[in-house]
Amino acid sequence: MNWVSENIALIGTLVLLGANILLLFPSTGRKSGIPGFLLLPVTVAGLGWVFLQPTGDLVRDLLFYMASGTAVLGGLLMTTQRNPVYAALWFAVATLGVCGLFVINSAPFLAAVTIIVYAGAIVVTFVFVIMLAQQEQGSGYDRIPQQPFLATVLGCLLVGTMLLGIEKTFGPDSSRLSVDRTALHVSSLPVENDLGSPGGVGRSLFTDYLFAVELAGTVLLVATIGAIAIAPRRPQGSL
Amino acid sequence: MSPDPSHYLVVGALLFGLGAIGFLTRRNLILMMLSSELMLHGVSVNLTAFSQYHGQHDGQVLTIFVLTIAACEAGLSLAIILALYQRTRSLDIRLWTTLGEEELMPPMADSASREIEPPAQPLPKLVPAGRRPVIGADGHVVTPVLSNSQASGKGAKA
Repeated sequence: MNWVSENIALIGTLVLLGANILLLFPSTGRKSGIPGFLLLPVTVAGLGWVFLQPTGDLVRDLLFYMASGTAVLGGLLMTTQRNPVYAALWFAVATLGVCGLFVINSAPFLAAVTIIVYAGAIVVTFVFVIMLAQQEQGSGYDRIPQQPFLATVLGCLLVGTMLLGIEKTFGPDSSRLSVDRTALHVSSLPVENDLGSPGGVGRSLFTDYLFAVELAGTVLLVATIGAIAIAPRRPQGSL
Repeated sequence: MSPDPSHYLVVGALLFGLGAIGFLTRRNLILMMLSSELMLHGVSVNLTAFSQYHGQHDGQVLTIFVLTIAACEAGLSLAIILALYQRTRSLDIRLWTTLGEEELMPPMADSASREIEPPAQPLPKLVPAGRRPVIGADGHVVTPVLSNSQASGKGAKA
């Protein structure tokens, strides 16, 4: 009981999140998901209020809340949207939010690459396949989710465990504050402007991680050949 | 600019959990793949946060590798999904809960265990109480044939 009263904010927020996901899920009994949509801003604001206290830097806080709110909102709606095309588009929105977080984390090159690869290639290809395989108005497997209650409870437990771990490590009463940053062997910081720029990332890629780059190139080649081999063909032999 | 990465870790954990819920509840093959990409996004946010926390490039380089593998995975999975779609004309995952093919022989282990298995012996049956058991020629008790009225009545346990 003591533990529950200490972590009442975390448990309440997780219950709110789970209830919102369950309300957003399409079910056979309910026609509209309006209560879920109404609860959505409350949930996102509650998550931000409990876990993401502002740091005092106004511009940084504003950008962070916008980006993370976009990402989490896009993820929530992507998980529960019944139309697969809309779900793919909400995934693109979540990707944009994540790219905003990359920019705040001083990784602008990575943000650009992620937008190009995800929004430009992956989402377009997925939407293309969804539309190719689209059946007559609303197929049953999109309308009826699989074990929604059990999956939501499990997911919320997973998130709660991770949040507890983060709180224990980075919270106000953690032992981390006694650890000085110089003890982390980061005293030899690179030039501050260098972090995240294409030049800096490329220098790190082609010096420290050269072997991994070669391996990644091989994996790409193998995946390309495999995809061409697996892809179904018409009897005439043309794709 | 705060050096504390806990905010980013919280957002990464939320994205990961949402992706996990989507992966478990979706029945559409393509959207299951998209949910796993959302989980990869959560991991990428964590990696860049730690990269900035330590002031080093390693997290960002790892994110680039995550991106590469995600692209490979998307291409391969779409090829497999298209092949599966051409067989069933549906993207439902429940059609693939049993991966065996009907036209093929039954699996080796199954037929072997069926051969080794001894033939089922008939269970012994008790004579209803108050009757003299009849011993057959082979030394076993011959089960008396009950009429319908007896079977439904007190002799049902026989």
